[in-house]
Amino acid sequence: MSPRLRRLLFLACCALVLPAVLHVAAHMPRFGDHSMPYGDLINAVALAERHTTNMVSAINFDYRGFDTLGEEMMLLCAVGGATVLLRGSRGETESEPQRVPGRPIIARADSTVLASRLFGAVVILFGLYVVLHAMTTPGGGFQGGAIIASGLLCVFLGEGYPGWRRVAPSELFDALEGGGAALYALCGFASLVMGLPFLQNMLPFGQKGDLFSGGLMQFENAGVGAAVTGGFVILLIEFLEETREPVPDGDEEGDDP
Amino acid sequence: MSLLLPLLLLVAITGTAIVFSRVPRRQVVAIAANGIALSLLFMAFQAPDVAFAELAAGSAVTPLLFLVVLASVRTDLTTERVERPDGEEDAAS
Repeated sequence: MSPRLRRLLFLACCALVLPAVLHVAAHMPRFGDHSMPYGDLINAVALAERHTTNMVSAINFDYRGFDTLGEEMMLLCAVGGATVLLRGSRGETESEPQRVPGRPIIARADSTVLASRLFGAVVILFGLYVVLHAMTTPGGGFQGGAIIASGLLCVFLGEGYPGWRRVAPSELFDALEGGGAALYALCGFASLVMGLPFLQNMLPFGQKGDLFSGGLMQFENAGVGAAVTGGFVILLIEFLEETREPVPDGDEEGDDP
Repeated sequence: MSLLLPLLLLVAITGTAIVFSRVPRRQVVAIAANGIALSLLFMAFQAPDVAFAELAAGSAVTPLLFLVVLASVRTDLTTERVERPDGEEDAAS
């Protein structure tokens, strides 16, 4: 197809769709106006029912807790699948940091190392804060886990690949990923054992707006936080390791980007 | 609203920049810029939790994974360089 014909086709499609788009744009609800009663209902009752001030967490871990279990398993399968594919050639046992053959080793400026150490520590700490405050302020296990993983990226930026692998041992994050998902599922089975419906929140909800309010949601949130941190870091390790080849004997000096 | 319009415009500009940057490595930077613009927009929409997730996943982790893949593709090209009989080097594709 020639470029001219392609452009003509594009313009014809635009002419076809344009009236519909204009019609929708003219009949949009006003900004901030919505016709979704579920959100308003949760906002009205969740504080009294679940004692959490972050309604998103109340939905994720309680009202729709079973959906989050499904998402948790999806994450586990996606990370597991990517790991199986990428680690396949490397094998299970070998987890020493490798090198990229033929890539120059660029020394880092001291300022880069200092900035990465400062920011890395602060970002990881902030991620832990976001995980812990899931019930009171916006954020939670998923957001906090992603922030912790990007904080570990700062470590990678400052310390180089071998240093990063020393800080972030592969086995620890394998355990976090699997253990977090298992913790979430076990929360559901704990309710079953007590004769309640799956994932029924049977722990005391605690004080409204307190850091440790929400009962069983605390454990589910911790599980999600661990699993997301583990999943992100495993993916990073596997992808970065994929670009590298085993170090030949007697050639182990330096680190590389 | 006065804050939202410039931010929406910024998202549109950075999104278009991704489409119009043809070099993969620049495209990765454009994706990261779009992620930052999006997380600012989410912040302005009073959804800080979504902004956190977008900032971490959209502008830090995803671009890095893309960069890693690009680096991996490049090393493959350089290591598979084959020596021709007439002494000329040629990249095997």
